[in-house]
Amino acid sequence: MSANHALHTELPAEPEKATLEGRNKILAFWFFLGGESVLFGSLFATFIALRDKANGGPTGVELFSLPLVAAATMLLLTSSLTSVMSILAMHKKNVSQMVFWLVITALLGLGFLGLEMYEFYEYVHEGHTLRSSAFGSAFYTLVGFHGAHVAFGLLWLFALLAMTGKKGLTVVTAPKYFVFSLYWHFVDLVWVFIFTVVYLMGKVGV
Amino acid sequence: MTDTHSGANRKEEKHVPSQHSSRNHLITFGLSIILTAIAFAAVAMEQVDVKSVVPFIFLLALIQAGFQLFVWMHLDQKGHQFQRIFMAAGAFVALLTIVTFVFWIWW
Repeated sequence: MSANHALHTELPAEPEKATLEGRNKILAFWFFLGGESVLFGSLFATFIALRDKANGGPTGVELFSLPLVAAATMLLLTSSLTSVMSILAMHKKNVSQMVFWLVITALLGLGFLGLEMYEFYEYVHEGHTLRSSAFGSAFYTLVGFHGAHVAFGLLWLFALLAMTGKKGLTVVTAPKYFVFSLYWHFVDLVWVFIFTVVYLMGKVGV
Repeated sequence: MTDTHSGANRKEEKHVPSQHSSRNHLITFGLSIILTAIAFAAVAMEQVDVKSVVPFIFLLALIQAGFQLFVWMHLDQKGHQFQRIFMAAGAFVALLTIVTFVFWIWW
């Protein structure tokens, strides 16, 4: 209650866009996402150029397990849906429902990260490391960078959940949830291209 | 808090834009799952010709990326002109880099 102080007595329909600061944050975050596209584009380009240079080590056809990648894809895709559900709950001003969906998002993200760590652990045991080949370097840089984005997103999400307990939903905190959900969708968007270019094309072996 | 806001809820429910309906999001989610399943099946079953499967799964990925951007991230809504410019510029540079690298290894 105390968090819902002097700024507004009741929240507007789209609290994330109620203040100029909120709108600026969202606009600037899209600028950041444009830059992130360039970053991942260059990593994808490097991977595509080097993906058949396995240096005598294991190739993608031998390494990749499609059921594992399919499970990871399901987890991340579902977490993208739950993060959009949390924003829908926010628009209904239902804070407990919003927190519920954010917690589900966090659990799915943790599951994805767990699968990726297990996957990398297996690969290293099969002789596929960051230093084993150009394919290895390009693979771990691209997929690892995406995994680091998921890990950072989880830390961000935990900070948001801690903030919710202290400050609640106001026109000041609403843009923070909204910008996080944009970030999380973008991370899922990048994963769509990773499972296509890295895993599926790697399994086809062209 | 609950008292003042349940009142606010009832009053503002009709102002929530229709694009935000959870049904839309669930349909998009279902379609994304189907597209993902088709892409995995096309590769796993090894039925589709090797040369045509890559453009095919790439097309599926582009459709899914469009779902994320336009339905879940609301890039299609009014007042998102700058956002579209940012993302188009980013995608252009990313694509240019990828095309350059692909041609570099071919020749």
